[in-house]
Amino acid sequence: MNLRIRSESEKETKRRSASQWAVAWRRFKKHRSGLVGLGMIIVLLVIAALHNVIAPYPARPNPDAFKPLYEGESAQPPSWKHPFGTTVMGTDVFSEVIHGSIYTIYVAVTVTLISMALSVAVGIVSGYFGRLVDDVLMRITEVFLVFPSLLFILLFSRIYQLGVAEPFWDVFGIKIPVGLTIVVVIVSIFGWASYARVIRGEVLRMKECEFIQAAKSLGASPRWIMLRHVFPNILPQVIVLATLTMASAVLVEAAVSFLGFGDPNTITWGRLMEESLQDLSTVWWAEVFPGLAVFLTVLAFNLVGDGLSDALNPRLRE
Amino acid sequence: MGLAKYIIRRAIYMVPLIIGISLVSFLVMYAAGDPIQLATAGNPSITEAQRQFLREYYGLNDPIPVQYLRWLDHFIHGDFGRSLYGGRPVNEIISSLVWETAKLQLISILLAFFISIPAGVYSAVKQRSAADYTVSSVAIFGISVPVFWFGIVLILIFSYYLGWLPSAGAHGAPYLWPVFGIKNEFLDELAHLVLPVTVLTFANLAYNVRLLRAGMLEVLRQDYILAARASGIPERKVLYKYALKNAITPLLTLLGLSIGAMLAGAPVTETVFSWPGLGRAYVTASLRLDFPLIMGITMIITIMILIANLVTDLIYAWVDPRVTID
Repeated sequence: MNLRIRSESEKETKRRSASQWAVAWRRFKKHRSGLVGLGMIIVLLVIAALHNVIAPYPARPNPDAFKPLYEGESAQPPSWKHPFGTTVMGTDVFSEVIHGSIYTIYVAVTVTLISMALSVAVGIVSGYFGRLVDDVLMRITEVFLVFPSLLFILLFSRIYQLGVAEPFWDVFGIKIPVGLTIVVVIVSIFGWASYARVIRGEVLRMKECEFIQAAKSLGASPRWIMLRHVFPNILPQVIVLATLTMASAVLVEAAVSFLGFGDPNTITWGRLMEESLQDLSTVWWAEVFPGLAVFLTVLAFNLVGDGLSDALNPRLRE
Repeated sequence: MGLAKYIIRRAIYMVPLIIGISLVSFLVMYAAGDPIQLATAGNPSITEAQRQFLREYYGLNDPIPVQYLRWLDHFIHGDFGRSLYGGRPVNEIISSLVWETAKLQLISILLAFFISIPAGVYSAVKQRSAADYTVSSVAIFGISVPVFWFGIVLILIFSYYLGWLPSAGAHGAPYLWPVFGIKNEFLDELAHLVLPVTVLTFANLAYNVRLLRAGMLEVLRQDYILAARASGIPERKVLYKYALKNAITPLLTLLGLSIGAMLAGAPVTETVFSWPGLGRAYVTASLRLDFPLIMGITMIITIMILIANLVTDLIYAWVDPRVTID
């Protein structure tokens, strides 16, 4: 008897929690620009997964990447054979953009994971404990917030690239670019602060809610409350922030590479643009297409972010 | 009285922050290795004796704490030392670049601020109208477009293809850029400003409009707006006096932050347009590891930002009576 009641109430809560996300999805589906963004991201993922199949020429350490040069087709404008044209040094821009997509995804995902972990931890702890903990953490956050992070990202990237001996780490057969990972870590460290502030604000508002008070009076430990009550309730916000972080991470990494501070062993979209900048007046296609790829990717993440923020935070809608 | 006290207290609070930031930057840089070795690594014509002389000249043989204290002493006396490349005094380099960066930034920040107010208000009032969709689309385009790519596309169209505007630099002398066939120094300077200002204004504008639109949507739903409208106050006054006053505070914060970070310039935009400013100088200095110049620019920016933050807080208290300074 007892058992049956419990299982039924469990079913009940399971269904309810599923429907919260289902409601959000239903709202998201009505958000046309959000769906367009989602479609673009799916296309990007497919391209990255099949990059070796789609790209007509292999990625750069492979000498075959310079085949257009040997065929006498360097610095050619876009054509059927080279849809995005070829560079002065004789590589196919289309292939390089396709190969670059995996690095873009790597940057978007890792920067988001690191900076979200930092900002969620700081935001929850700071908001929940308040007082001295909050004071100290928020002063630190402010320092990160106020200073022009791009300048520090550039300087730190330059300095820490000096210490890179091996260009790649081999993790279970997957080659992870060391220099790019350094840039990723630096971008995350300088990017979490504003999100921590947003999350702290949410936690402060939630702390006064009855279900938190109830958990407290039942003797739940702060860790339990933070993990089981506070975190699930800020998850919608975190998801929206994560999408926006992906957008800004791609943008910042592209800028870092474009300015020449990126990983010299990784051909990212920003680096493609850096390499061909001096030939801008003649070989414009080598600049325009990689930049267009950055733009479309960032746009896709921002569109999804806007759609999610409308779908997950109904109180922001009228 | 309270105000003076507040400003003094905030100024005292800045001291540890300035020292902390200089210490962190200094340690990160000088722990990276011997700057002379790094700066001359690609130059085979320099002998070890010359390197030794340079180290002696820049005081790099002392332990790092001694070097830092000496740097701090010079800093307090307003001296940032000499660049590792060419040995020009850092103060001189910075003061020759500051104006170009400030000019570019101030014009763009203010333009973006004043355009975003009518655009944001109109877009919120006419929510879901064609105009709102236009403004919102332009804004999302603005926050998504990489500024360097946007700059390059503008250069390709307006400089290389149409030949209307110069693509690089801040001044054309000795060859002035002809505007409508007229060669004039002022017009030449304006012509050089058009493209970088467009790029920077656009980037700032997008953030401003999104912030203001969201704020206005929130405020327009409040009861006091309904009450104001019901009592027959002209719509213009309701919008710009009652609603905007409450929706504009985040925008003012952003304005304060961007004016503070103004001298950080836009390293990316300045590089694309070869603008002779602090941002581009910082990029070159970091690429070449010109540590004294990097320290100098970093400290100037730090101080500017701290002062701008203080001013922003004061303006905040003036605009919003709920905020008190104490």
